[in-house]
Amino acid sequence: MKYVIRSLAALACIAAAGVGMAQTQTPMPVAATPAAPDLGPRLTRVADRIAAIDAEANRIDDYNQLRNLQQMYGFYFDEALWDQVVDLFADDATVEVGLNGVYVGKDSIRRYYLGMTAGKVGLVKGQLNIQGQLAPVITLAADGSSAQARWRILVQDGVFGQNANWGAGVYENTYIKQDGVWKIRKLQLFVRFYAPYESGWTRTTAALNARYGKSTAKADRAPSLRYETWPTRFVAPMHYSPTDKPYVLAPDNSVKAAAPSNNAARGVTQLEAQVRALELKLNRLQAVDEVENLESAYGYYADMSMQDATSALFTENSTLEILGRGVFLGRDRIYEYMRRLGAPTDGRLFTHMQLQPVITVAADGTRANVRARLFEMFGVNNVQAQIAEGTYENRFVLDNGMWKYQGLNGYQTFYSDYEQGWGKHSVPLMTYFPGYTPDMPHSVEYEPYPAVFVPPFHYRNPVSGR
Amino acid sequence: MKNILLLCVATCALTALAARAAEPIVTDSRLITEERRLQMLEAKLASLQHQVNLIEDRKAIERLQQIWGHYVSEGMATEAAALFSDGPTASIEYAQQGVYLGKARIEAFLKAGGAKVLPGELRETPVMQAVVHVAADGQTAKGRWRSLVLGGTQGQDGQWQEGPYENEYVKEGGMWKIARLHWYTTMSSSYDKGWHRMPYPIAGPLRDLPPDRPPSAVYQSFPSFYLAPFHYLHPVTGKPVAWDNVAPGAAK
Repeated sequence: MKYVIRSLAALACIAAAGVGMAQTQTPMPVAATPAAPDLGPRLTRVADRIAAIDAEANRIDDYNQLRNLQQMYGFYFDEALWDQVVDLFADDATVEVGLNGVYVGKDSIRRYYLGMTAGKVGLVKGQLNIQGQLAPVITLAADGSSAQARWRILVQDGVFGQNANWGAGVYENTYIKQDGVWKIRKLQLFVRFYAPYESGWTRTTAALNARYGKSTAKADRAPSLRYETWPTRFVAPMHYSPTDKPYVLAPDNSVKAAAPSNNAARGVTQLEAQVRALELKLNRLQAVDEVENLESAYGYYADMSMQDATSALFTENSTLEILGRGVFLGRDRIYEYMRRLGAPTDGRLFTHMQLQPVITVAADGTRANVRARLFEMFGVNNVQAQIAEGTYENRFVLDNGMWKYQGLNGYQTFYSDYEQGWGKHSVPLMTYFPGYTPDMPHSVEYEPYPAVFVPPFHYRNPVSGR
Repeated sequence: MKNILLLCVATCALTALAARAAEPIVTDSRLITEERRLQMLEAKLASLQHQVNLIEDRKAIERLQQIWGHYVSEGMATEAAALFSDGPTASIEYAQQGVYLGKARIEAFLKAGGAKVLPGELRETPVMQAVVHVAADGQTAKGRWRSLVLGGTQGQDGQWQEGPYENEYVKEGGMWKIARLHWYTTMSSSYDKGWHRMPYPIAGPLRDLPPDRPPSAVYQSFPSFYLAPFHYLHPVTGKPVAWDNVAPGAAK
């Protein structure tokens, strides 16, 4: 019964809204108006213009989605969340990592990833599996239904108490858009090196490099290309070259002209609504770039311990939560927190790289979220050095027309003494600054590596919604 | 139950009102004709076209800068040099190696040092962390980026390098080119000993290929402390940034 009444109410609601709409439209064809000029051709031109800008906006959106897709792949891979990883592939996709052969189709791909962690989803205690997805060169096909991209990977992995490795390589991937959703069609990683932490990348060998990406699952096909890893010089094939026709992201005019205009019949009111929607779409796309600038700017200020500049990126009522230091409420308290980090000076290194930003903007364009990777190099000359990694989940808000940090949450993945590396050393969760208690305890209870902790994701899987 | 119904009706009424109030364009055709509304739309579309062009410019610059990083990682000096502007003021500057002007000299510098990768050498250098600003006219742009370098020679000690780029771009014939590339070294060190035990002095001029101009800024890398100037004002305050609790002598 309740449902019936609710349904009726909903119908009434639609009707009421309809009346509202009708009221705004009915006065238009007023008989008393002097004979208006024929606006038909101009209406058509405006409609075509809207369609043209919209097509440009959609290609920018494709670019952003593709960038997010590969970066999300990396963040899922970090945690061995294989269900999430496999969801990102098209049904007929292929995966080829190093010289481990080609895995064809989703089932095979699933077996490949599961075969890297003894059939288990998720990391086990002691495992580290950082797979940084960096440096995208994204090329969208003219028809917008497929894309290619080159990326670099920076790997930091290992098992606590057993081993630690650096790895690097180059992806040449292809993507396909199916039912409006981007998926990975081909993932190919050309491994450059995979080297033990202790001896470093310069003492690696082909045999050591070949350890990367091993799975117990059998490949469907032999490697598509035989190549030597570093120290042999090998340039992974590039999908672009200096002799290519110049690439532009904007739609190809010849393709655009081929699309027939079917907007001629539309009236001014409909065009106005389309323009408003287009404006929101563009503002959301612009927000992606502005928020990326902000996230990066934070890192550059943090490098230099510029506590004034850093805290000024935050709104009045924002929150900041780093490691296990607790929650600091409001810009003034954030400033105080930043001051505790100490002044920059000769002999100190405090490098805060902000990598792999997955950026999502709310439907109304006034809020945004970023998941990003922190790669930190800390040092006191002649005393000590640390190498560290973290995950940010940050919130941004449009505050009087200006994007600002509304909340920063920096989770501790690991902080290791440089001389020992992450295979031998990882500090426990860093707690409150002595004599400087936070306004609230930290919001998520966790232990960093070598324990297993997955920082919560602000987004769902872009393909499956999982 | 009745309350729920009332609430629904009230919500509906409000929604209907809001739907009308949200109309930003006055639709009373006795005052604002369809032609006037169309004019407003045309003006709005001109501004949206400008907006979309600037976003495309930013993406083009990201792609250009990332292509640069891949070429340099592979030791492809000629291809990397081809990304620069044809103008005589195009320049490249690394560390304390001085400034090279014009495409030919840029290529010579990249071949002699900047992107030279000999057999058995490694230069893995991803480019990351973009702060990009495109000028309002869409003809020039500036970008701050970061590069981490995993380098060294086979069988020897590895090498770390890290530091920011402050680059400038120009649109030529509709395509973005690098007008000025300046990579600052924050830190360069031994891999085996670590940056805290064996930092290296900043790279100086190439002996066999002297630069066209001396370095545009004289500084030292870690353990010295140096702030590579930002091309942008603070994104929120709109002011230059500075430290407020540090003795000026500490930061050079």
